[in-house]
Amino acid sequence: MENQPYNQAIVRSFVNWSIVWGLVAVLVGVIVSLQMVEPDLNFPPYFTFGRLRPVHTNAGIYGWGVGMIFATFLYMVQRLCKVPLWSDKLAKFQLWFFNATIIASAVTLLLGYTTSKEYHEMEWPIDVMVVILWVVFSINIIMTILKRKDEQMYISLWYMLAAIIAVAILYIVNAAAVPVSLFKSYSAYAGTNDANVQWWFGHNAVAMVLTAPFLAMFYYFLPKSTGVPIYSHRMSIIAFWSLIFMYLWTGAHHLLWTPVPDWIQTLAMGFSIMLIAPSWGSVFNGYLSMNGQWHQMRENYLVKFLILGITFYGLQTLQGPMQAIRSFSAFIHYTDWVPAHIHMGTMGWVSMIAFASIYYLVPRIYGRELYSIPLANLHFWLILVGQLIWSISLWIAGVLQAGMWNAMNPDGSLTYTFMETMVEMYPYWWARSFGGMIYMTGLIVFIYNLWMTAKKGGSIAAQTTVETTTVEGRA
Amino acid sequence: MDLASIVYLGVTFGMFVIFALIVIRTYSRKRKDEGEIAKYQMLDDD
Amino acid sequence: MWERKPVLLIVLATVAILIGTIITMVLPFAWVNTEADRIESVTPYTALQQEGRDIYIREGCNNCHTQTVRPLVPEVLRYGDYSKSGEFVYDRPFLWGSKRTGPDLARLGGKYPDAWHYKHMESPRSMVPKTNMPAYGWITKNQLDPQMIQRKMDVLGFPYTTDEIKALGDKNEMDAMVAYLQKLGSDIPWRAAATTEIVGELINPFTGVDHDTMEPWEDLYKENCAACHGDHMEGVIGPKLVGADYYDEILFQIIYTGIADGGMPSFSNLGTDKVWKLVNFIRYYGQGEGH
Ligand code: HEC
Ligand code: HEC
Ligand code: HEM
Ligand code: HEM
Repeated sequence: MENQPYNQAIVRSFVNWSIVWGLVAVLVGVIVSLQMVEPDLNFPPYFTFGRLRPVHTNAGIYGWGVGMIFATFLYMVQRLCKVPLWSDKLAKFQLWFFNATIIASAVTLLLGYTTSKEYHEMEWPIDVMVVILWVVFSINIIMTILKRKDEQMYISLWYMLAAIIAVAILYIVNAAAVPVSLFKSYSAYAGTNDANVQWWFGHNAVAMVLTAPFLAMFYYFLPKSTGVPIYSHRMSIIAFWSLIFMYLWTGAHHLLWTPVPDWIQTLAMGFSIMLIAPSWGSVFNGYLSMNGQWHQMRENYLVKFLILGITFYGLQTLQGPMQAIRSFSAFIHYTDWVPAHIHMGTMGWVSMIAFASIYYLVPRIYGRELYSIPLANLHFWLILVGQLIWSISLWIAGVLQAGMWNAMNPDGSLTYTFMETMVEMYPYWWARSFGGMIYMTGLIVFIYNLWMTAKKGGSIAAQTTVETTTVEGRA
Repeated sequence: MDLASIVYLGVTFGMFVIFALIVIRTYSRKRKDEGEIAKYQMLDDD
Repeated sequence: MWERKPVLLIVLATVAILIGTIITMVLPFAWVNTEADRIESVTPYTALQQEGRDIYIREGCNNCHTQTVRPLVPEVLRYGDYSKSGEFVYDRPFLWGSKRTGPDLARLGGKYPDAWHYKHMESPRSMVPKTNMPAYGWITKNQLDPQMIQRKMDVLGFPYTTDEIKALGDKNEMDAMVAYLQKLGSDIPWRAAATTEIVGELINPFTGVDHDTMEPWEDLYKENCAACHGDHMEGVIGPKLVGADYYDEILFQIIYTGIADGGMPSFSNLGTDKVWKLVNFIRYYGQGEGH
């Protein structure tokens, strides 16, 4: 592939670093899960649950998630536009600045410099770094798109553009704060307003970081892996506009029953339910693309990851709207049910798609065939089983806990004290740690496989076969 | 009906109209090939 | 049209994103934290409390504790009056949280005496054996920095006196934390309003209890009362209960509704059945040498 002008090296570096941060996220995830069952595992001042949990979430979303967004966007934009990257230098700067930002975030969070706003914990100097990083990235992507060869833009590019713009707006608005010192600032908004702004940001971080970019990847890597185009491009367009329009109304479903005005909560509830349509639009588009190709689930390990990934997405987007209904929220909000939802999204949907993307990229960025397909299959089963244990045990825990919190005696008094409900969680929290360890084992198998590929995978004589398969027309 | 309800209904209706227009435009026969071409192009050998 | 023009696509996507944003995020500023929301009795944090709040944020207590009570029956019974928008006008940032690994703290102020908090923060497991809350005794070693705190108060625009700032020099982070915890949710006089009226006659449902009946009830005492009244009712933070000779109904009242100003929490969330068991337990063992 030397004869191609595409910048592969930068993609490889981003993939490698994302995997490093992914491993950190999962490792810290296992540690915090153990701290919840054994408080003696807290080592103050730096390694207590309260400080480590944000390290876990931010390493997961920003290190692993956004790292993979950078890797795949930089790859997809060149291929979809059929032109090399606008600026290789900028991309190189982006890589090192990205790592610097992640390291600075981890260190400052451990030192206790935090705003406490979920997924926006980092203090203002790091916000400045994030903004620089994002601007550099956006310019490179947008400029590359502007000089593209194919006139018509494929749906992945649409999602990429929308995500880039939306993240910029969300992040900056929620970052508004008055600094007191280098590492302390006070939010520009107070109380109920602050809550509303934060969850407008928070939910749309889910939409524009953990959903739209991964849909872009899904829409790209699925047809590329199967060799068959997606079922309907026009359907993906309708889903696109509906999705990006509706998501922004739903932030307050994190604030049901709080002092936030009722009408905002009601809008959030309504739009959350409507979101099922565009979300499942993508799910159906994925499934229907597999028409006549289901045998590939057996033969092509890539397809397995992608289809399982979109299935988890489908489950997420049914579970989520359910949680956004007032009565259901009254029951499960604040319980362990919610982490079960979150991790089906992050460990299932987001990570499955990221793993598939990496497997697809391996021959292209390492110039070698994957070291071992059986190991890739083992990886698949370990993370699938690990994630299911994680989410199923906490769904049960959440329902149990909610039931006990709400239980009342015939005379109208409460049946259980808080501690009576909390001790019931311990077995499920143990199960979660166990599931997490299985998942981590899967991740280590994956890393070993890539390591061996880089060291001694078979070199590629011919282009991978999937790509030269004839394209069946279906409109 | 007070002003607030009229605005509310108007905005809701307006949004549906915009949505309908997008659907009609995307799915018009005239644009069928144009709308689907990108999914074949993206499969080009790269 | 837009499928060939990326700049147009960006503009249209931005418009699509901004509609929901303006309606559900920008417009509410016209409704929230306005005069209509204001509650007269809600005051800004003092320098010491604000510093405690910042330590709460630094330690990420919000990862386990929420600070908002929803208007739902079991929740109001468990934690106290539901939260009002006007109670949070001085909160930058808000600390409502999203996960209740530990109990809600929105109505914590005045629930326990200071001494309870010092002990609990130092070693949660010594008070509540099965809790998973980390120990925070180490913050006692950190002295406060009055200058920095003064700067914070200036940025927030909260009133303070120079004496107040000077006094901070002798305090440590634990003092600040406890001061903050005691302020939480106590700006509105909800405790007085919430005193549970017990209707009907109070009749002890357990008669003829002896040592054997009592055996399984001991855990109730250990888990809920021993931290303050001692393993043998000898008294620690709370008074000794040995020799506390009250009628059943009075004892029931004390335990069920607590003694708000005295630092004895209400145990209505135990339910009447368990409270009656405790009444009998205390009556039985409290008569003699304790136990
Ligand atoms: C790992 C989760 C966790 C973290 C982190 C945590 N707590 Fe707790 N906290 C709990 C649990 C569980 C309880 C209930 C049992 C108990 O009283 O220890 C609790 C109870 C409390 C209580 C008593 C509430 C009541 O109504 O009885 C206070 C006060 C408290 N925590 C304050 C804090 C503060 C302040 C911090 C931060 C410095 C903190 N907690 C961090 C889990 C946590
Ligand atoms: C947070 C600490 C604390 C806990 C926990 C606690 N108490 Fe108390 N209790 C006190 C304090 C302080 C007083 C003194 C209040 C006063 O007289 O103003 C008190 C007073 C009492 C009295 C009245 C004693 C007298 O001589 O006037 C009784 C009875 C009592 N408590 C029973 C209980 C029982 C039963 C429990 C367990 C369900 C319990 N307490 C749990 C702190 C506590
Ligand atoms: C239609 C789609 C979705 C809807 C309507 C939705 C809805 C919700 C709701 C209502 C909550 C709050 C639960 C509570 O605290 O009571 C929540 C939490 C969350 N969801 Fe979803 N969800 C959707 C899809 C997803 C997806 C695809 C992901 C991907 C990872 C995801 C990740 C999260 C996360 C991280 C949180 C936790 C926020 C917190 O810190 O409290 N969600 N979701
Ligand atoms: C082995 C894998 C993992 C384990 C064991 C794990 C464990 C945990 C634990 C214990 C919590 C705290 C839950 C609580 O407070 O009750 C948590 C929260 C969270 N984790 Fe993970 N995690 C794993 C993987 C991931 C990955 C890969 C991501 C992201 C890509 C992620 C994102 C998050 C998020 C966003 C939260 C916040 C939840 C909330 O706000 O309620 N996790 N995780």
